[in-house]
Amino acid sequence: MEKHTINVPSAEEFARPRSRKDFFKALAAASMGAAAGSVLLSRKASAQSTDVDIFNFALTLEYLEAEFYGLALDAGVVTGDALAVVEAIYDHEVQHVEAIIAALEGAGATPVAKPEFVFPDDAFSSQTSVLELAATFEPVGVGAYLGAAPLIQEGTLLAAAGSIAGVEGEHVVAVNNLLGVVPPAAEAFPAALTQDEVLAAVSPFIVGGMMETGGPEYRDRNSFGRV
Amino acid sequence: MSGVESRVPIGFDRETSRRNFLKTAAWSGAALSAAGIGGFGVAVSKAQATHEGFVPLGDAGILQFAYLLEQLEGIFYDEGVNAGLFRDDFLAQIAAIRDHEFAHVDAIATTLGQLGAEVPAVPEFTYPDGVFTDPVAFLELAATFEPVGIGAYQSAAVALESKEILAAAISIHNAECQHRCAINILNLVVPPNNVAFEEALTLKQVQDAVAPFGITG
Repeated sequence: MEKHTINVPSAEEFARPRSRKDFFKALAAASMGAAAGSVLLSRKASAQSTDVDIFNFALTLEYLEAEFYGLALDAGVVTGDALAVVEAIYDHEVQHVEAIIAALEGAGATPVAKPEFVFPDDAFSSQTSVLELAATFEPVGVGAYLGAAPLIQEGTLLAAAGSIAGVEGEHVVAVNNLLGVVPPAAEAFPAALTQDEVLAAVSPFIVGGMMETGGPEYRDRNSFGRV
Repeated sequence: MSGVESRVPIGFDRETSRRNFLKTAAWSGAALSAAGIGGFGVAVSKAQATHEGFVPLGDAGILQFAYLLEQLEGIFYDEGVNAGLFRDDFLAQIAAIRDHEFAHVDAIATTLGQLGAEVPAVPEFTYPDGVFTDPVAFLELAATFEPVGIGAYQSAAVALESKEILAAAISIHNAECQHRCAINILNLVVPPNNVAFEEALTLKQVQDAVAPFGITG
């Protein structure tokens, strides 16, 4: 058996930056301000409302991805095996959107509306530009789900989040492969992201940024301990 | 995958590979059908039914079982590397997966130690004839191993009590999903990312899948 040199994090390290309070800040910022904010201000959230907020946050991310891949396909710049991969990813993201909406409605909750998104001017100018932006989106999706998973109360929803996260992880590998990354599956422990990291990654693509979604206000309040 | 021919090991035939993959991809087939017929509803209902068997094991018992699964995988990939079945990009991926599985082994052993639980003895695993002499057979078996690990973690995650261990388990689950896609790439499956939802398995399904290799219990 050969030596293997991979840094092995302890179990504690996985969960380190993600308190429920922190995650609520992210929800308030990135998701719809009204719903998430009311939960935030009540300070005592039921387990169910926590899950609802997490899945509404996930819905926003899935909307972002679905729109990106749909526009990429419309642009007609992706061909060959890459086209098969991008078509599959688009199909998966759309299914994730539909599944999360169904789950939220099934729980008696209201899914957030799809935000308006904006992408860089050259995002769809070539296959490479599409794949490079995809390579930034997919790990964010993985990290968001991995960061949220320990906060999910309902077992069936946890399993579903894990199921979707795994598919996003597969997207990472498929896109890596198209970009010539060797080996395409390169992570022993795919990373969870903090809410701030997720927001930093996706807010440039949401029209109006976080202002229209109530983000900075809540974040400021939190930073001054007023919530 | 461009330039695949130059990476293909001697004796590796892409059509044979694909046929073998499809013939034996019962696990993948189940996952595909789950993806196609209703998404989340299916994923949720399956998850609901799949975690219960893991609950009585407790966190330590789940990790002990996972430890053996990771050893089964890690030793398999290590043997594949040592047998010289692969070169270049193929070798890089198989070696990376080997390293990941052993990193999972180490992480689980460390956590078991923190829990004051015993790290299981590793049995002498039995692998099918030919898998370490035929790269096609090797990759075929790899394509069946990975969904077992995925399905096991996806169910077990729901049964875990500790949120810290859950966070680790869901990360490892993600690595196994990434391996599934990577093995699909080596098996020349297009597109390699061919499920919309990963499939959870019951404890019984996982036990049945790994019993022939020498994991009993």
